[in-house]
Amino acid sequence: MSDAPKPDGVTVERFRVVVLPHLDAAYGFARWLTRDPVAAQDLAQEAMLRALRYFHAFRGDDARPWLLRIVRNTWSDFRTRNGTAGQTLDEIENRPADGPDPEQSAIAGDRQRQIAAALAALPAEAREVLVLREIEDLSYKRIAAVLDLPIGTVMSRLARAREKLAAELGGRLGRRGDGLPDL
Amino acid sequence: MDCPTCEAMVDAYVDGELTAIESAAFEQALELCPGCRRRLADARAVSDALRALPAEPAPDLLRARIERELRAIAGRPTQRIRWSAMAASLIVAIGIGWLGGSLLGHGTRETDELIAGYIRVAMSDHGVEVASSDRHTVKPWFAGRIDYAPPVHDLTAEGFPLLGGRVDLVDGRKVAVLVYRRNQHRLALTLWPSSSSGNAAPSLAQRDGFALADWRHGGFEMHAVADLAPSEMKSFAAAVDQAIDADR
Repeated sequence: MSDAPKPDGVTVERFRVVVLPHLDAAYGFARWLTRDPVAAQDLAQEAMLRALRYFHAFRGDDARPWLLRIVRNTWSDFRTRNGTAGQTLDEIENRPADGPDPEQSAIAGDRQRQIAAALAALPAEAREVLVLREIEDLSYKRIAAVLDLPIGTVMSRLARAREKLAAELGGRLGRRGDGLPDL
Repeated sequence: MDCPTCEAMVDAYVDGELTAIESAAFEQALELCPGCRRRLADARAVSDALRALPAEPAPDLLRARIERELRAIAGRPTQRIRWSAMAASLIVAIGIGWLGGSLLGHGTRETDELIAGYIRVAMSDHGVEVASSDRHTVKPWFAGRIDYAPPVHDLTAEGFPLLGGRVDLVDGRKVAVLVYRRNQHRLALTLWPSSSSGNAAPSLAQRDGFALADWRHGGFEMHAVADLAPSEMKSFAAAVDQAIDADR
């Protein structure tokens, strides 16, 4: 990055208008990736500063997937640095699964808490694709861009992730007849 | 349409990623396949459940931290900006303080005030009024500014270097605030002489990514706030208590 143009006041002002409005999305994604409110803030801040550094190269019309991709890559770097990238599924499953602060956030009902906990308990590969699709409401094409995957892989991962979450929720909330209980 | 094809289309159908023609073909095939109908119901239920989760907006402190970085970068002359300096400023991070609001009782309104105060000061560049890691500089600075002498210790060895101090008002009384650092985070410890005797173990609370701790030790009421994990706040309280005990 040494020969990248240095951000100046004009760049920062443009960044404020184009990228900063997506801070909530960046934090929300970081929250689900890290499953920790403090780590999510560090990740979102680092990603925002990286985004500013790469901003000269941004040529899209929609900064949100672009920013989410940076959040995701920054997170990968954090995990590599902390040596947690090779975490097994068991280790992930055994983590206390907390969604956004069950006590404090607006998540009111027990059912929603269960849903958040079930999502948090999924392995990262399933979690990220579900969050991008259902919470960030990105199209397959955009998800493919964020995760740097072919669209076909996004489709199959999403199908598997929904199946896993349905099974997880079925276990938590109890199955009633065919299909899931009314969620 | 055979079933594997049908199944492969369930999610794309739910997500509106099929063309009109594909959708119509899928709907026709669905009538013949109960397995796929159940799969479709499950996929929709999962989708609806996740979409109903309330969004958690970025905390104000995070916004304040980023604003501060942006202001710092925008304010620098273009040629002077160095990214190593930027990385350093990440570590220097935020200044903090305390704008009052008693932590006693952890009432929601008090906690709101407390965190609001923390954020207001985090956005300013004046976190501390006396900046020093030397207790022999910080402690005498309070003399004449407040009516008691707070115990001041540098806790670098325990991972909490002392950054300095400031005076704030709590319930109309001037009180000492000590500011410590933990990695790139700031920690504010407000303390005043206790009217109760004996020590009380820290009571920890977490709120919006902040850790809050109240306790009583060595004759002082202690109230700490930081954007840290509760376990780190606990280590901080233990380090403070140990330093006070070592003085006796």
